[in-house]
Amino acid sequence: MRFRRWTPWVVLVIVLGGALLIGSRGSGPDSPDERAAKIEAEVRCPTCAGQSALVSDAPAAKAVRTFVAQEVAAGRSDGVIERELTDRYGSDILLRPPASGIDGLVWFLPIVVLVVGAGGLVLAFRRWRAEARAAGEVSEADRERVESALRRRTPDPD
Amino acid sequence: MNAIVASPPARRNRRTALYSAVAVGVILVLFIAVLATRSSAVDKQARSPLLGREAPSLSGPSVIDGRPFELTSMRGRYTLVNFFASWCVPCQHEQPQLVRFAHSQGGDTAVVAVLFSDTAGPARDYLRANGGDWPVLADPNGQSALDYGVRGPPESYLLNRDGIVLAKFVGEVTADTLERLVARAKVAGQ
Amino acid sequence: MNALVGQTAVLLGLLACLAGILTLAAGLRTGQPQLLRAGRRYGWALFAAAAVAVAAMERALVTHDFSLAYVAHNGSRSTPLIFTISSLWAALEGSILLWTLILTVYVVAVTSKFRSRVGDPLVGWATLVMFAVSAFFFALMLGPANPFTRVAGVIPLDGPGPNPLLQNHPLMVIHPPMLYAGYVGFTVPFAFAVAALVTGRLGEGWLVETRRWTLFAWGFLSVGIVLGAWWSYEVLGWGGFWAWDPVENASFIPWLCGTAYIHSVMVQERRGMLRVWNLSLLLATFSLTVLGTFLTRSGVLQSVHAFSESSIGPWILSFFGAIVVVSIGLIGWRGDRLRSPGAIDSPISREGAFLLNNLLFAGFAFVVLLGTVFPLLVEAINGQQLTIGRPFFDGMTQPIALTLLFLMAVAPALPWRTASSEVLRHRLAVPAWTGCLTLVGCVAFGLRGIAPLLAFGLGAFAAAAAVRQLVVATRRSMADGSGPWRGIVGRANGGMIVHLGVIVIAVAFSASQAYGHRAEVQLQAGQTATVAGHRIQLVDIHGQHHANRDSMVADVRVDGGRIYRPAISQYFAMAGGGVGTPSVDTTAGGLSDVYVTLAAPPDQAGGPAVIGVVVQPLVAWLWFGGGLIAFGTLLAAIPGRRRRRPVLPASAPAHVAPRDLSAVGSQ
Repeated sequence: MRFRRWTPWVVLVIVLGGALLIGSRGSGPDSPDERAAKIEAEVRCPTCAGQSALVSDAPAAKAVRTFVAQEVAAGRSDGVIERELTDRYGSDILLRPPASGIDGLVWFLPIVVLVVGAGGLVLAFRRWRAEARAAGEVSEADRERVESALRRRTPDPD
Repeated sequence: MNAIVASPPARRNRRTALYSAVAVGVILVLFIAVLATRSSAVDKQARSPLLGREAPSLSGPSVIDGRPFELTSMRGRYTLVNFFASWCVPCQHEQPQLVRFAHSQGGDTAVVAVLFSDTAGPARDYLRANGGDWPVLADPNGQSALDYGVRGPPESYLLNRDGIVLAKFVGEVTADTLERLVARAKVAGQ
Repeated sequence: MNALVGQTAVLLGLLACLAGILTLAAGLRTGQPQLLRAGRRYGWALFAAAAVAVAAMERALVTHDFSLAYVAHNGSRSTPLIFTISSLWAALEGSILLWTLILTVYVVAVTSKFRSRVGDPLVGWATLVMFAVSAFFFALMLGPANPFTRVAGVIPLDGPGPNPLLQNHPLMVIHPPMLYAGYVGFTVPFAFAVAALVTGRLGEGWLVETRRWTLFAWGFLSVGIVLGAWWSYEVLGWGGFWAWDPVENASFIPWLCGTAYIHSVMVQERRGMLRVWNLSLLLATFSLTVLGTFLTRSGVLQSVHAFSESSIGPWILSFFGAIVVVSIGLIGWRGDRLRSPGAIDSPISREGAFLLNNLLFAGFAFVVLLGTVFPLLVEAINGQQLTIGRPFFDGMTQPIALTLLFLMAVAPALPWRTASSEVLRHRLAVPAWTGCLTLVGCVAFGLRGIAPLLAFGLGAFAAAAAVRQLVVATRRSMADGSGPWRGIVGRANGGMIVHLGVIVIAVAFSASQAYGHRAEVQLQAGQTATVAGHRIQLVDIHGQHHANRDSMVADVRVDGGRIYRPAISQYFAMAGGGVGTPSVDTTAGGLSDVYVTLAAPPDQAGGPAVIGVVVQPLVAWLWFGGGLIAFGTLLAAIPGRRRRRPVLPASAPAHVAPRDLSAVGSQ
């Protein structure tokens, strides 16, 4: 009985999982243009206020794009190119903050906040359950009172 | 109507609201303190990966008179590499200071300028209006700015006699600060 | 003359605020309703003062009165009239003037709406708080942000006009007023929240009453944010619409808190719970709007949209500090005593879903706020410069957004109090299969990438759940005999349409980020190139002369059809490089946008030009989704058939003395 109720849902989950597995497979290695674009998207346009070098049309961004295209054509790896840029501009030319040190806090704090919040909710639910149990049994007189009141009013359709 | 007699809920002495309010309050006070002490300034020395390293090379014809220029030819003098543009207002402010620095006592200081996102014509007008008689290099593709890690004009790099970068300034500089740094470098034997 | 009128109006406005505050304070202390009524009338004086000041400034702008410094910096004889009018909000001082006007409109609206309850101290306190906030903004205009200062020295014959980016698109005319209507609108629930805490009356009545005000403010803010993204897309030339820029974040963070409130207030209505939490949300939302104003106007953060630096920073920061002290003080002092009893029975219930919703939205707001201000904090601690850009924001917010999509699908199907698995399975079957088949279809079609695929699948799931709710409600209302329209009107149903709008925006956002293509091609006149399956042909390049600028325009034919006209303009009043104007259109079917820019004009006549092309799918859906949100908000504001009485016995009316309340039992 239970098996028949849950079967369609199990099938759904399996189909979903399969589709996601296929869908997460990339479409082959990146072309040089795609590689350059991915690197440029991680680098800040030096003269702009936070736009990436990929999308900005400031001359400094164009210079970065030329440089990255050159280095990609010369066969250097992503990490080497990013290091070359940070060697010139400093580490804040990258749009992605590092994951270590005091900067890593920015990745770490939100997770902490969410975990603490979720923990707070769990504790609250546990406390509510305990209070409900401690409130004790409902007396017969209370039950009568509630049922007569309900009979007088129309039930909520929502 | 029957009096509703129900036992009151157990008195909860939890002070969640108070504790959370205090915690949030402390964080916010610190936060406001940080926001209140931000400032932008003149003579702002910046961190740069170039500090202590040899300055990237610069070469090309000067926009003023066409004579070829090489940065290595400035070895032996304390050189200020100044990135500027004719449309940059703080650059205009600092130009007289640079003139003073270029002609300071001893004759062992010099200035070299590199155009940032600008063309020769407006640059010549700018120098005529604001002074300055040092080599000015064009940087049409922005590659020199990239090599030095320039974010926007004005930015200046003070090099010692061996072409090592001593300091990087983001924004305007004053001749006093530059001369003080040069004096300190001389004492330190750099 | 204009300056004199404007300055006097602002001064009178400030005096009216102060008089109103004193009268109301006296009325609240002595309990005399006549004083409270008199205090209310000052609201009209405030509005008149702000209206006169705005009229004076507009008159100065339109008649090109260059004796005013603001007009001299932002006006120009060659700017089209509509942009001259909108230059009221193009720069700092004028934007404060607009803010004040909208604030006084809200003050008048509140005092009029609640005039029958003017003797109630809760209304009195709320009005007093609104007067205090207005006093701050009037004072700003007498101090650092004075729009009516005169030009020192010679009066110029012409001005440079507003920033070129602010005068080339009609969206500039409606985006800021909409955004401010939302931003400023959150002052009303804030005032009532403070009043509720001060008077200790947290019964459901008052917060339900102000729910509609919050909904309208939230609706304006949503529309304002979407319009801002649209403006950014059409004007800034980089082909994107959301850059996690500090100004964008400053408007988004209060929106997130407001959305959390709109949901958790429903738990308060149903179960009488979460009262103090909801009040905290309202206090936080308003505080964040003030913080956002500080961040964008003080110059501490660089931004594409930022106003120029001025001395206004310390004033706004002090105001923020005062608001924080008041909010935290009230919550710490009263919060614990005013908490409501009651329990939520099961986490698998509508209440549980709303609690999870609040947790996620609070986390979302925290992530965006942290990413925006963290560079400041790091610089203060060790002097290091740090950039936090798109990779951080996208990476951290995507999981939260996807979870929220899932919640949007499941929560409307969850009953209140507790849910059984049969009910859930029955209600979610069709939506779940819709989502699954959509995902399978996308994968079969060839789309790849976990994040966009999940967004599409969950989006379809959530959309099907929302449509199912609407169908059920329509069927029920038709069975009741009230016709099909009741099925889409009212809070729950309007809310489902708003959900649909949000889902459409989420899907469009995901698709355009993941499947966009950008390229730059160098073309001679007559040459064609292919970018992402579209044929791009440069037909011609020619110059155009306007009153305020010289433009170089490229005629680009796309796919042998429509001609796009991107341009680069040199504004006479502005030194420096040219300003690019992109040309963008949606292809037939609304599925894809082709965005063309003139990246580099030819070096010499007859030379090649560099044309930038960005092709992104589903961008037009973003604006459609924004429209759905606006439509749904209007529908949600229409009262349902069974009006909930706004003042329930749980919130005692004014004439009941406080000591009688203790006999009614704990609230």
